[in-house]
Amino acid sequence: MTNSKVASIEMVHLVKRFGNFTAVDDLSLTVEPGEIFGLLGPNGSGKTTTVNMISGLSAPTSGQVRVMGHDLRTQTRQVRQILGSVPQETALYEELSAWTNLDFHADLFGIPSREKKARIESMLDLVGLTDRKDSPVGTFSGGMKRRLALARALLHNPQLVYLDEPTLGVDVQSRRAIWDYILALRQQGMTVLITTNYLEEAQELCNRIAIIDHGRLVALDTPEDLKQQFGGSVVEIETVESFGMLAELRALPGIKDVKLEDRFLKVTTESGTNVVPQVINLASQCCEIRDINIREPNLDEVFLHLTGTALRD
Amino acid sequence: MFNAMGYQLRVIWACAKKDFKAALTDRLFTVLSLFVPVNLLILMSLFVLAGGNAPTAVVMEDQGPYAQAFYQAMSQAHSFRLQITSAVEAERLITAGQIVAVVTIPSDFDAQVKQNQPVQVGVQINNLNTDFTNDIRRAIPLSITSFYAKAFPNLVNVSVQENDLYAHDTDYIPYLGVSILVIALMMGGLLQSGTAAAKEWENQTMKELLLSPASRWAIMTGKMLGAFLMSLGSTIIVLLVLILIVGVRPENWGEVLGFSVLSLVIFNTVGTLLGTVIKTRQPVIALSTGISLPLFFLSGAFAPISFTTPLLQVIARIFPVYYQIVVFQHAFHGFALNTYSLGGNTLILVGYAMALLLLVTVALQRATVSH
Repeated sequence: MTNSKVASIEMVHLVKRFGNFTAVDDLSLTVEPGEIFGLLGPNGSGKTTTVNMISGLSAPTSGQVRVMGHDLRTQTRQVRQILGSVPQETALYEELSAWTNLDFHADLFGIPSREKKARIESMLDLVGLTDRKDSPVGTFSGGMKRRLALARALLHNPQLVYLDEPTLGVDVQSRRAIWDYILALRQQGMTVLITTNYLEEAQELCNRIAIIDHGRLVALDTPEDLKQQFGGSVVEIETVESFGMLAELRALPGIKDVKLEDRFLKVTTESGTNVVPQVINLASQCCEIRDINIREPNLDEVFLHLTGTALRD
Repeated sequence: MFNAMGYQLRVIWACAKKDFKAALTDRLFTVLSLFVPVNLLILMSLFVLAGGNAPTAVVMEDQGPYAQAFYQAMSQAHSFRLQITSAVEAERLITAGQIVAVVTIPSDFDAQVKQNQPVQVGVQINNLNTDFTNDIRRAIPLSITSFYAKAFPNLVNVSVQENDLYAHDTDYIPYLGVSILVIALMMGGLLQSGTAAAKEWENQTMKELLLSPASRWAIMTGKMLGAFLMSLGSTIIVLLVLILIVGVRPENWGEVLGFSVLSLVIFNTVGTLLGTVIKTRQPVIALSTGISLPLFFLSGAFAPISFTTPLLQVIARIFPVYYQIVVFQHAFHGFALNTYSLGGNTLILVGYAMALLLLVTVALQRATVSH
């Protein structure tokens, strides 16, 4: 169904201004078919504005967006037909039943009447809400609403699914279930675009991640490569007394960053180096070591390094 | 082409059906919006009844034929609600604030009239409300004139030759009731469509609509159709009250139905416009009720606007409510309240409907959920 030669989303020099404020600043990136793509950025970084332009809710000031080869300026309806959206606020009619919500969506997207009932039943079954199909959505938990919104987004068989904070406010069990649904979409060949504030979620789900800040693209890569770019290893050492050889430590070749807080030392090494034994050696010469932890960098550290702020700030 | 049209029609019906179902789930609001216009009809009727005839006690110290004739003249003045009492009882009633006036026909009334001598009819007025006080002050001299015209036809040479414009008189409440039908259409239309549109923004479900491939005009038409169906409820209730309780029967049912539909289109469009622009229900509800009442009073609800001041007439003509009252009074009573003819008034209303539809289309076209 999907033409693999055509990018699912292609943004070229995309700019969006609101008066003097530039929300999206010359953003160019491509989302390939069949991948789960994560769009990350601090609050106000331009994620929502970017996604609104991708879905045709907002027109770019300049630049171009193509979705599955369709130019959004001239083919907005075609784009909406192949796009399934799960907004952060779910946008469900809470006073109506789950079935009525899906039935309404089916009519809005022109699903043939003869297929409608079977498709709704199938989607409710997929997200495990068949037994609650006649209940008002207002009585659902946050996780159930998310699952229903996902079912609704998939009802018209889209080629590209956009999920805005898909697990925000849901319990751990529901989060795992939603992740499984999203991973299953990739197996079906769908392209998935996710915005999330959970880096763990991005790590678990995304093939590639774009980090944007102040409307500009600051990083674009796979989660693994992003972490590699940030550094090779992170060595965390807890000492009995305060560490006093910071200058010597920083002088070691292959050391990228050193942080000392009280008796806790955190050393990030450059990738491709093997300086970890020397770090431990130096620390043991200086003071008595209580605990050592060696690990690879996580996305939180990558994000903090790139944007200067934690994702939830 | 047919498929595209079929799809848009399906969207229209889906939006209407969804809004109708959603409105029915909010039972309190639905009941309130259905019965607010009926409440208004009852309120206005009570107001008219309360302000109609002044309760007046008559102390008949003379029971002669002229005294009786004077009492008859008063009872036919359309200004009093009379009761014959003793002087003591009359004093008690006026002191207790239960009557507006005490009229005392003196014991020498017949004798003095027969002898063509001056006679004084005593009038004691409870002047706490000048509206009633002035009614009494006008009606007593009129009753005296009327009494003389009947008792001594040769003595009163000036008489009235009345030529009626219409074949029958129309009471105040039947006239007002028709105007209240217009306010029922207005409040029902504004509240239903305004809240339905604002609710989509307030609950952020507008995204579901705007992210669909459906055209915005189809969505808007569907939403207005849903509100139209709900507004029909309050219209039917007021119509039933008017016909079955007030006893007003339309002279032309076709006009009543046609103008009801046209008026609901206008009010549903205004409501949708308000909801789309304001985006929250509370101010929409406040504004809908807030603008309905002044427009109702301004637009000739109680009498043709030509009976009011020139400035008010100019202001009234700006709003469609005036033309709606004109066409509905024609539909029910056959009245021609202005010189534009029925067709002219209808065309003006169609013009309003089209201009408002254009406005709401532009508003929805520009509306976006993003910042």
